Amino acid sequence: MSLETVELRKAFGGVVALDGATVSFHEGEVNALIGPNGSGKTTFFNCVTGMIRADSGRVTYRGADITGKAPHAIARAGVGRTFQLCRVFPRMTALDNVLAAVRPKGLAGGLRGARHRAEVDRARGWLTRLGIEHLGDVEARAMSWGQQKLLELAGVLMGEPATILLDEPAGGVNPALLRRIGTLVRELNAEGRTFVIVEHNMDLVMSISDHIVVFDRGRPIAAGPPSLIRTDERVLGAYLGV
Amino acid sequence: MPSVSKGIGLLVLAAAVLSFPALAPNPYILSAGIVVLNYAVLSTSWNFVGGFTGYISLGHGALAGLGGYGTALLVTRAGLPSFVALAVAALCVAALAVPIGLAALRVRGASFVIVSIALVLILLLVFQSWASVTGGSRGLVVPRPFPGLLRPEHHRVFYYLFAGLLALALLAWWVIDRSRFGLGLKAIREDEDKAESLGTPTFTYKLIVFVVSAGFTALAGGLYALWFGDLDPVFQFSILTGSYLVLMALLGGVRNLFGPLAGALIVGTALEYFKGQFGNTPLHLVATGILLGLVVMFMPDGVLPAITGRWQRLRKTPESSIREVTAAELRTERERAEAKP
Repeated sequence: MSLETVELRKAFGGVVALDGATVSFHEGEVNALIGPNGSGKTTFFNCVTGMIRADSGRVTYRGADITGKAPHAIARAGVGRTFQLCRVFPRMTALDNVLAAVRPKGLAGGLRGARHRAEVDRARGWLTRLGIEHLGDVEARAMSWGQQKLLELAGVLMGEPATILLDEPAGGVNPALLRRIGTLVRELNAEGRTFVIVEHNMDLVMSISDHIVVFDRGRPIAAGPPSLIRTDERVLGAYLGV
Repeated sequence: MPSVSKGIGLLVLAAAVLSFPALAPNPYILSAGIVVLNYAVLSTSWNFVGGFTGYISLGHGALAGLGGYGTALLVTRAGLPSFVALAVAALCVAALAVPIGLAALRVRGASFVIVSIALVLILLLVFQSWASVTGGSRGLVVPRPFPGLLRPEHHRVFYYLFAGLLALALLAWWVIDRSRFGLGLKAIREDEDKAESLGTPTFTYKLIVFVVSAGFTALAGGLYALWFGDLDPVFQFSILTGSYLVLMALLGGVRNLFGPLAGALIVGTALEYFKGQFGNTPLHLVATGILLGLVVMFMPDGVLPAITGRWQRLRKTPESSIREVTAAELRTERERAEAKP
């Protein structure tokens, strides 16, 4: 098991966003997290990555308890994430955006030049892999939405996470880029990375996932391979209201 | 910019700064030069926090005040030699910056600005009321480190001391600017939550750079105390000082190593000039306010970036525009889509 949560609960005032969510994602697979708008998917991501503190419940990663840890500690433990509304550093070049994911150790490591040769090569490698190497010296704010999404992913990958959480990777993306993202997830998964993807595009979800968890009103109502989820009555009910 | 012209620029700057005492026509102008250099050090010190992390502190005047009073009290009460007292006071202020930072750096944006103002106001009350130690509103006289020196010589020595401190602060800023630590700080300025999610311990980063900033600010404050020889809480713990530092850094350009220095040269000189012109009226504040308004409207990134930007356009460097990049990307996008149907 990769990421697991037990009875995760989070309320914003009277709105219960997570209502005792017990979920486990499979190591080495492409996991998808789907559900209607407002079913608590993004809140779930935020609790798991430490961005917001759950009211109760536990989060474990590869057996280690990461409940209540700081986001940077969870990132350093090997869980990377992207944001629903793609977040990059707007007034930094694409190369610096990726280099910002380098994690120096100690005083000497911190004071070493940011343009360290080996790291610049590695960063450019990720930009090349995502097809935006020609934008290395362009500020992120001058890039298109699709390019920014790829850049955000390049930054996350620079941190070499074993598990990657993607929040709506297909949101606002053209069909050509969508195919590229789908292929990329599959390739990176084949290299050993675990994925957890929140997504509304069912074609993408069904085509790339091994394991799907369905959320409704802050808790999972079904989990299984795409073939099972496609025909699950509770899932159809949650989505279509039948 | 090629490194040769950068080196030449640096040499010209250093020559201009170092030759000022010889060129100054009278001790008054020289002392005005010291005031401007003091602002340059303070503003550069402020820029460790403001420029890298984007946290706007209006409270840095208080850190300078603490450095000044610390130095003065260590000389008068503990009998330490002047410059030992200066170093010890700066270290104490840096240490004190840890708890201050732990509290203040928890909040962002406007809330941080307000907390930093509170720091100045609280310390003003403390230093005014605790008259048995600080001298209160009657002020505190600081013994001169070189009692044998005549006034012009005294100014000259302190001018070079301030220039040395400025060089040290600029060097430290430069080292951080090009480091991984600096890149992490700039990421915090751009998007703090995002930086944290990439694995940067943002709070620790902010705290470290705040302590460095406080240390340099205290050194400048202490040196000022030794030079000026008289401290008054109203001037040492004044919101105005912090506001001037912010104005100078913004005016020069906070993303630029020499931005705060350029801002201090402009604002510091303007302040001295306006004070001379308008005498003891608040009109110099009005003039400074108008200056800030103009800069924010026409050069939002500061004077230095505006000038270098114009310079680059004059030289017509083949810098690709945003439109060209997008077109190229569109083309490759199309080609890729056609290659893989």
